[in-house]
Amino acid sequence: MKAGKLRFSKPNKYWVESSQKRYVPHPEDSVLGIVVDSRSDNFLVDIKGPSLAFLPVLAFEGGTRRNIPKFEVGTLIYVRVVKANPGMNPELSCTDATGKGGEFGALKEGFMFECSTGLSRTLLSSPTCPVLEALGKKLSFEIAIGLNGRVWVNSASPSTTIIVSNAIMNSESLSGAQQRIMVEKLLQKIQ
Amino acid sequence: MEQRLANSWRQTINEKNFIVTALLSELRVDGRRPFDYRKLSIKFGKDDGSSEVQLGHTHVMAIVSGQLLQPYKERPNEGTLAVFTEFSPMADPSFEPGRPTESAVELGRIVDRGLRESRAVDTESLCVLSGKLVWAIRIDIHILDNGGNLVDAANIAALAALLTFRRPECSLGGEDGQQVVVHPPEMRDPIPLIIHHLPIAVTFGFFSNENIMVIDPTHHEEAVMTGRMTATVNANGDVCSIHKPGGEGVNHRVLMHCMKLAHVKAGDITAKIKDAVEIYNTQRALRKIKRHSSSVALDVGGTPAKSGEKESQVDGSHLHQSKLKDEPSSMECDATSSGQEQNDKRDGVSQKFIGGPSSWDPYSECVNSDLLKASLASHGPATHRQQKGSRSETKAEVPPQEMKIDSSPTDAGLVAVQNNEGKTLKDAVKPKNKRKKKKVSSNTGN
Repeated sequence: MKAGKLRFSKPNKYWVESSQKRYVPHPEDSVLGIVVDSRSDNFLVDIKGPSLAFLPVLAFEGGTRRNIPKFEVGTLIYVRVVKANPGMNPELSCTDATGKGGEFGALKEGFMFECSTGLSRTLLSSPTCPVLEALGKKLSFEIAIGLNGRVWVNSASPSTTIIVSNAIMNSESLSGAQQRIMVEKLLQKIQ
Repeated sequence: MEQRLANSWRQTINEKNFIVTALLSELRVDGRRPFDYRKLSIKFGKDDGSSEVQLGHTHVMAIVSGQLLQPYKERPNEGTLAVFTEFSPMADPSFEPGRPTESAVELGRIVDRGLRESRAVDTESLCVLSGKLVWAIRIDIHILDNGGNLVDAANIAALAALLTFRRPECSLGGEDGQQVVVHPPEMRDPIPLIIHHLPIAVTFGFFSNENIMVIDPTHHEEAVMTGRMTATVNANGDVCSIHKPGGEGVNHRVLMHCMKLAHVKAGDITAKIKDAVEIYNTQRALRKIKRHSSSVALDVGGTPAKSGEKESQVDGSHLHQSKLKDEPSSMECDATSSGQEQNDKRDGVSQKFIGGPSSWDPYSECVNSDLLKASLASHGPATHRQQKGSRSETKAEVPPQEMKIDSSPTDAGLVAVQNNEGKTLKDAVKPKNKRKKKKVSSNTGN
């Protein structure tokens, strides 16, 4: 049993939310993976779990044997976990449950950094996390958050990317108001 | 095998490209400028000669120890210096326990060369008996967390540990003057090493683009950079060593620029190390003053005080002679055991008091001078000051420290406080009939 925050959602759901550096794969999670190797029938992808995950070569929108994507070692991809059983390598897919591609696939350019699983869940929560809201008001960037504790940021200028990534990394232990203040200070330093 | 594959750290192509792109605009991923060092913090352990350095996320510990050994045949008059490195597996998933890897040996060699070739540590003063016994100084560097640039952090840790290391004093004795007597630290103060200057290692990272150069690379930058160089210079501008293990070729202009930068950085870092060592030495001196004050207080009274420790508490006559002498001894008793226990002991003993030495055994036990010094050395001045305003039991412990500092004439302001406290404790030690009354009054007073 891991330590964590007790969370509640009406009417009767309680659960304990913990935050670690390592990720435990769970089906229907969207994660950021790094391609480690390519085999004949699937790619080996590192998703920060206890073992490498398999991404079938055909698990893409309109994927056939003819148009297998070429992922080099070190490519960053946004994928969905399909199957995750203990002891087995997890299975991934670049399509959603209906078969549409959506946003899944390789992420080009930008910068990826790692954080804890708790922070990535906070970043994905709705309403929008205060740090993302504060950053979004002043800067324009695109961001992809994996539930496995990986975040990818891209923007037109490297300085924006660096500001956004450092702000997010620093926001882990801060409350909402503190996050806004921290972002303001960071932005003031630049201007 | 699967686990190891899953656990190893990988870098994305995106990150590699981004680091280089950002450096073209003179930006680094953690927000630094290319020639900025990360935040440096130097801490020391309780023992002399152990230091812990944090440079950003990099965490290194160094321990210095000395042993009397035979010198090398070629240098019979010099002590020896040896550097050992241990890359702990907790620092990085790629570190394995067991034999040092190439990078571990390289790190040890860089630190060693910086100290040895420049003769930073005076080895001739380490000679005890020429040709037979010299001090062999051993520096153990432990890497606790690899956040990049281990060399610089390890070098700073080694220097900080060397500056705070104290070796026991030894003298020659015996009939032929050939016997070496090593004095324990309690008898004679251990002496520091003679360090002439501080060689600071500054590491540079080069990237495939000629114009890009960074100082103090992080772990991620190290994976991207194509060449590295470590220049060991001291604050005086002397170059102690240069280490460039292969990698990208570097223009001589760039090299000279690096050396100038290294000189500037060495000055900064030398100042930081010296400040940290200064703070450590003053804390150490404060601890020693307390130890010496306890022995001074005992000596001040001379014989009466010594007998007083054991007997004056029995018959209150000696107590009147010198309040100062007895208070330390009684307060020292309080210092050795916890305040609460001491009060209970005093209460219990006072009720059984019949005026003979036998019933004062608890006190004579606690006046064991070795115990005293050991316990006083382990009590810091801060902890006692903090306990000041709390309860009467802890108040009992405060006066000993304040007493000690008083004996070495520093804080005159504390005299007033201590006099009030002194009355309470002195009363506790006075003969039975008076003691009970005054104790009640002092307790109500407290």
